[in-house]
Order: sequence, then structure tokens, then C-alpha cells
Amino acid sequence: MTTVSLTDVSGYLPGDPVPAEFYTEYPGAEDKLRGHAMFKAPPARHHVAADETNTDMIERAVQPLIERHGRDEIRGVDVLLVHSQLPDLPFVGAGTEVARRLGLNPEWLVDVANAGCASFVHMLKLARQILSTTDARTALICNAQSAAGQCFTQSEVRRLAQAAIPGDGCGVGWVTTSAASPVLDVETRHIGAHAGDMVLALDDGRKYWEPGESQLRIGFTDAGLAKVLSRGNRLVPEVITDLCDRLGVATADIDVLVTNQPNRTFLRNWREALQLPPERHLNTFDRCGNLFGAAIPVTLDDAVASGRVKDGDLVVLGGFAHAGDFAGAAAVRWHGGRG
Amino acid sequence: MSDASSTLADIPGLMRIENPGKDELTAHCVELTHSVYPHHQVYGQYCTIHAYVDCPPELTYDYLSQGHHLEEWTCSLRDFAPSGTPGLWVGRDRLEDDTSIYCKVVANPEALTVDYHCSWDQGDKLWMIYLMRVVPARLVLDKPGSVVTWTNCRHPYYDANPDPALAPRADRPWVGDYWDLFYAGHTVELNNLKAILEHRHRNGLPVSVPPVRAVAR
Repeated sequence: MTTVSLTDVSGYLPGDPVPAEFYTEYPGAEDKLRGHAMFKAPPARHHVAADETNTDMIERAVQPLIERHGRDEIRGVDVLLVHSQLPDLPFVGAGTEVARRLGLNPEWLVDVANAGCASFVHMLKLARQILSTTDARTALICNAQSAAGQCFTQSEVRRLAQAAIPGDGCGVGWVTTSAASPVLDVETRHIGAHAGDMVLALDDGRKYWEPGESQLRIGFTDAGLAKVLSRGNRLVPEVITDLCDRLGVATADIDVLVTNQPNRTFLRNWREALQLPPERHLNTFDRCGNLFGAAIPVTLDDAVASGRVKDGDLVVLGGFAHAGDFAGAAAVRWHGGRG
Repeated sequence: MSDASSTLADIPGLMRIENPGKDELTAHCVELTHSVYPHHQVYGQYCTIHAYVDCPPELTYDYLSQGHHLEEWTCSLRDFAPSGTPGLWVGRDRLEDDTSIYCKVVANPEALTVDYHCSWDQGDKLWMIYLMRVVPARLVLDKPGSVVTWTNCRHPYYDANPDPALAPRADRPWVGDYWDLFYAGHTVELNNLKAILEHRHRNGLPVSVPPVRAVAR
């Protein structure tokens, strides 16, 4: 099998940081839950500008890759995979617009609509599969998340404790057929039994595209918070442990763990379950909030840029999606230094 | 406000659906829910274990309530004989050489509870108390058989032998030194209990057996 590397990552955060007070001092804010770890507002997050699209963010996130690897190299990409947490346009994915904007002409282009907060892992697996079994040589995988500054700033949703948790951002990964920074293995699970438990809540019962007054927000079915919590608690350590077992390493030997970052409770629980000290489970929660699918590439980029990923480190990326309908983990032997 | 709730209002730290309300109650519970719990947090002060046993609850209770069966299912309690005090037996705990263990069975057939009040070295103060309960599995698991629960509480004497002079020799380890192995040790013993009861019940044998005379003491 051709060795495939996660050669580089890059991130983009829109605008200036938005302080927690944007939510906590909003008239009518629901504050009683904020004392609890799951709802404690991160000090800062970013919001997309009113006219900023997923494609705009991806274009900006890719710029450092162009600077480091050359415009021609990026333009020659064979595989383009794009996940938009909140699509700007139903019917049409963001992928072809990304290709147009960046001048790409990929043979493979997929707008990934599943695997949510762990879709970077899902796309890494897809890219690795395509690169190792076809003539394709390079892949660009993109995670754009723009729900925070749009859904969660609506006049009524903004009052909810949950509104202060998300943040916007975009992360991209550059995947190539090389042994430079090899993807050692990827473990993914699509779990149909947990499908359908995350919903778009509209209090007047309309479909999201129908006219009406209700403000769209994310909710869970009656399966509820407790089930999502127990699934998340179990799934992420399980998938990472299985990956490590296959690689023949203990989870405690992971040098750098990067996960999605729904809230502080999950970060604590995963770290505890995998027996890792906080300094090896990196996150950007305090500065970025819940970045949904963009969390993994944005945090990895931040960790590489700040020197917290050392040459040769075993980096594990993992997470789960929605109400537990997907879980995935990938291991990379990191040699993607920017020295 | 009822009398009951006005009385409760004086008690700090209560979390009830009336206050702080369901959402905060849920958030609080979420915070208390981890993926894993360290051993000392779960078993540090109390050690409760449980098992399903495919043997009718009355037979399970009957077996447990006869103290001489401890010689069958425990790892190390052997050679019980009357101590001279009615209801109090003395045997050997072969966990350590030359160590005597005193034991009294306190059983309640209505509640299906069987408590073993024990102590090393002396029979005057029985402080090592093994609290066992048989629950009809039909009630709790909707199937025949028994659920057996077993709890030990960390009496202060586990941490400090109140009377080291009674030890057969100065360097004899103390029972409390094994506290951190209680979960494991009691699990092994509960598995023994399960295996014995299920084997006899499955094969139509009498579950309880007469006391075996200790040959040499």
C-alpha cells in the first residue's frame, strides 16, 4: 500500500475574538447553567463576518499552504474533500466553488455531509484510500464551520447557555503520497443506531426552508443529553484505544492527542479515559470554543505553529459526530515541521 | 409551600427538581459523569460488588446464612469451630500464618440479608463487617436466580490495628493493608460463590452441605 502522509495543516479564524460577555451580558441571557463545565462559556471565540462564506474561509485557510508548498502544487491537487458544518447553499456543495476560487481542477471532488465534528478523520481516511489506490498524488481536505456567528447569534438563540460555546473557524489538511509524515492507520465507525438523534430545532415545526418566525438551533431528540454524553464518553476513548491496539502502542504513549472540543466535560473525560496528562491533549477551546469539524485541523495547526508537536511525535486525531452516529481516530507519525 | 419543603429550605446543598430546576440538575449530573473513575475514588472508602447467580434466592440465602460455607467459597477462611461464646465461631484466615478470625453470622430471612461480623485476633469487638444481600433476580432482572450484593465499609481499624499486641508475631501484616485489593479479592470469592451455587443447582445437588470437621488445629 502506498504510504500517505498528512503533510501539512493550516487554519483560519475569522475576525477578532468575541468575548464571552457577548453572550453573558446579553439581555435575557440564561445564566444559571454557566457554572457547569458543560456550559461554561469559553473566554473567546470567533464569528464569521456577515458576508463571509464557507468558501471564503477555506480560501483563507489554504493561503499558508500555498505559501509553504507553492501555488502550482496546490493547484495540481487531485482530490478535494470539503465539509461545511453549516452549508451556505442547499443543493450545491461548497466544493466546486472552492475549486473555482482556488483555481483547482481535481479529478475527485466530494462534499462530505456526514461525520460532523470528526469529519477531518473521515476525510483523511477517504483521501488516504484514494491516494493509495489510484494515480492521485495529492488531496486537500477542508473543514469549514460557520454556525457560531450565524445560528447562535440570533436574538433568541443568543440567550441560551449553549449559544456561547460554539466558535467559527476553518482548518485544512494537505495529504500527499509520501512517507514524510505518514498516516499510520485510521479507524472509523458509522453508527446507524445513533442516527437521527441530533435535530435542527424550529419551535413552530416548520421546515428550515419554509417561511416563519422561529429561530433555527441545534437540539437533540428525547434520547437526550444523557445518551449523547454516555455515547461520547465511550466512543472516543474506544475508537482511539482500538486504533492504538492495532498500532501496538498504549494510549498513554500518545505524544499529542487532538480531538473535537464540544465542551470541557468531554475534553476532561477523554483525557482521563486515555490516561493522558492535559499537556498532551491539546485544544483551543478557551480561544475558539466548539469548532465542530474544524476543531481538529485548527488545533493541530495551532499546536504545530506553537512548537508543541515535536518531530517524530505520535499524533492521534479523534472525535465523534452529532449524537454519536460517527466516531473516528487517525494516527500520524509527525514530521511536518515548519523549520 | 408545604411544611416538608419549608423544613428542607434550611438544609444547604440540596439539589431537587424544585430548585435549582431540571436543566441545572441535569448539567450538574453531566459534570459528575466521567468516562472512567480511578480505583480509589470508587473503592477507597467502600467496596461494593455484585453478581448474578443462577440459583434460587431462597437457596442462595440459605447457603450464605450458614457460616461454615465460608470455608468453601472464601479464598482463605478455614477451620471454623465454636469459640465458646454462643453464635461466635473462630477459624483461621490463611491469608497470614497463625491468624485467627472470629465470626458471627447475622442473617435476616425476610430481608434476605446475611452479614458476617468478623475480626482478626479477638472476638470481643467484631468490626470487619461483610454486608451481603440476596435479591430475587425475578424482581430486578426479570429472570430466575439471585442477585448477590456485597459491601464492606472502611472501618478506621483497617488503617490502624487497634491492638497490635494480639498479633501472633510483630511482623504479621495487618488485614487493612489489603484494602486496595478488596475489590479484586472479593470478586474472586464472589465468583467462587457463584460457581459453587450454580454447579450444585444445575446438577440437582443439595446446595448447602454439612460442616466439614477440621482435621487438625
